Amino acid sequence: MLSLIQSELRMLVRNRLVAVCAILIPLGFGAFLIFSPPGGPADQAGGTIATLQILIMVAMGVYVTGTTTLAARRQTLMLKRLRSGAASDTTIIAGLVLPVVIVSVVQIAVILAILSATSSAPENAPLLILAVLLTELMFVGFALATAGVTNSPEHAQVTTLPLFFLVLGVAFWVMFTGTEELGWLKRALPGGGLAELIGVAWNGGDLSNVVSLIVPSVAWAVLAAYFARTMFRWEPRS
Amino acid sequence: MTNTQNLPLVDAAGTGDTIVETQDLSYNYGAHGEFQAVKNLSIRVRRGELYALLGTNGAGKTTTLETIEGHRQASSGTVTVFGGKPTDRQGIRPRMGIMLQETGYAADLNAVETLRLVGSLSGRTDDADRILERVDLVAKRDTRVGQLSGGERRRLDFGSAIWGTPELLFLDEPTTGLDPTARERLWSVVSDLRAEGTTIILTTHYLEEAERYADRIGLMHQGVLASEGTLAELVADHPARIGFVAPTGVELPLPVTSTSNAVSFVTTHDLQGDLTRLLVWAERGGHTLDQLTATSSSLDDVFRTLTRS
Repeated sequence: MLSLIQSELRMLVRNRLVAVCAILIPLGFGAFLIFSPPGGPADQAGGTIATLQILIMVAMGVYVTGTTTLAARRQTLMLKRLRSGAASDTTIIAGLVLPVVIVSVVQIAVILAILSATSSAPENAPLLILAVLLTELMFVGFALATAGVTNSPEHAQVTTLPLFFLVLGVAFWVMFTGTEELGWLKRALPGGGLAELIGVAWNGGDLSNVVSLIVPSVAWAVLAAYFARTMFRWEPRS
Repeated sequence: MTNTQNLPLVDAAGTGDTIVETQDLSYNYGAHGEFQAVKNLSIRVRRGELYALLGTNGAGKTTTLETIEGHRQASSGTVTVFGGKPTDRQGIRPRMGIMLQETGYAADLNAVETLRLVGSLSGRTDDADRILERVDLVAKRDTRVGQLSGGERRRLDFGSAIWGTPELLFLDEPTTGLDPTARERLWSVVSDLRAEGTTIILTTHYLEEAERYADRIGLMHQGVLASEGTLAELVADHPARIGFVAPTGVELPLPVTSTSNAVSFVTTHDLQGDLTRLLVWAERGGHTLDQLTATSSSLDDVFRTLTRS
């Protein structure tokens, strides 16, 4: 797996277009939010910015890039080639997906460090780390599932749109309307529980219902992994 | 047919142990299995053998090969490799090298990086520079795969397959896209591997390669194994041909079976006897036999008969 991870990181850097999409654009967007923060209560600003940064950067850096990478590897028959050896399917998938996750985690660490220095520091760092890991996990699951219905890297620009906008839309809904009304629905939808969790981790707040924020995201990741197992293709459809 | 490569011959009825065996292997494509690409195929490949699987386009050769390799699950029937299931990657794949019909490498990795990546996943150890030297790609060591020619990629593919000298090697149309020199070099490496005991199963469209190198040949047509055996066994039922421009106004000693561009052809299962008869007749009668040819039956004849059936 290590050799696959190293190769993927090498390719990520060598391909200018992929490097821009996976590294520069998410970082750029994260930085933009620091210097042009969205509206809302000033005491909630840090949490709001962190939520948007984490969700958008992981959505772009892991979900879109991961789906595109898997589709590209399939289209070029590299998946089939990798499957000709002794490595298991799990090892191959992990080796292809972990590099984008690693890059994403590093990007988020850098951006949140800058946010902490320029705005407010997170109240509950361990909970924030958990929230970031859950976000990564959920979007990895989504990438694997979406790759199953994505025929090519170009097609990924279309197939990733629905979930991308759904997750961000739900996150915005939670951030700007709270969870007093329809809280169960907002938390159950993908991105809703995460948005609230990141907000609580950054701004502080009631930790009594943290489990109800974590469970839906884990459930979405598990559901996505289930669909990935049934829908994922290792070769182009003939 | 003599084996011009001085390769170890495997007795067709031989006692070599079986490495690969399929019994009534079938493979269906389509959501409901509408198209049967391989039908009840049973073959056995023995240790040290070079088995060539030939056939028309769409005959099911690659599907068969990929099912034996473990890339596909058979729709019915059984496949065993080294006595186990080919899908057992940890147990079986380290003993297998696979060269797919089409290369599948990342364009942004160079040749040596690609070999090291594929090699690290093979379950065997080797040295990338040694492999590059064997496939004559030393000069392209640091060239990205995207900049290699089709033939160079094919050689890289072959290098990946022979990494770590596998016990069993699958080659799916290995010389397609290679120039004659590269083809000869590939077969030289294959000969070396055979001398080291590697068993080889290959598909090819070049009949002369199968004639020259294979111990046994299987001929597929429309998903079925139409015939199988050594080259001698396959051509035994196919007649030889004598061709000549027949002198006019004389009765020939042999029946003419066909004529083309004024050349008459006689088919015969006794080439030496009938040719002698014809030459004696011509000598005695003072007849001239222009454009005289005598051709033994070949794999090409067998293949053409198969495709006409």
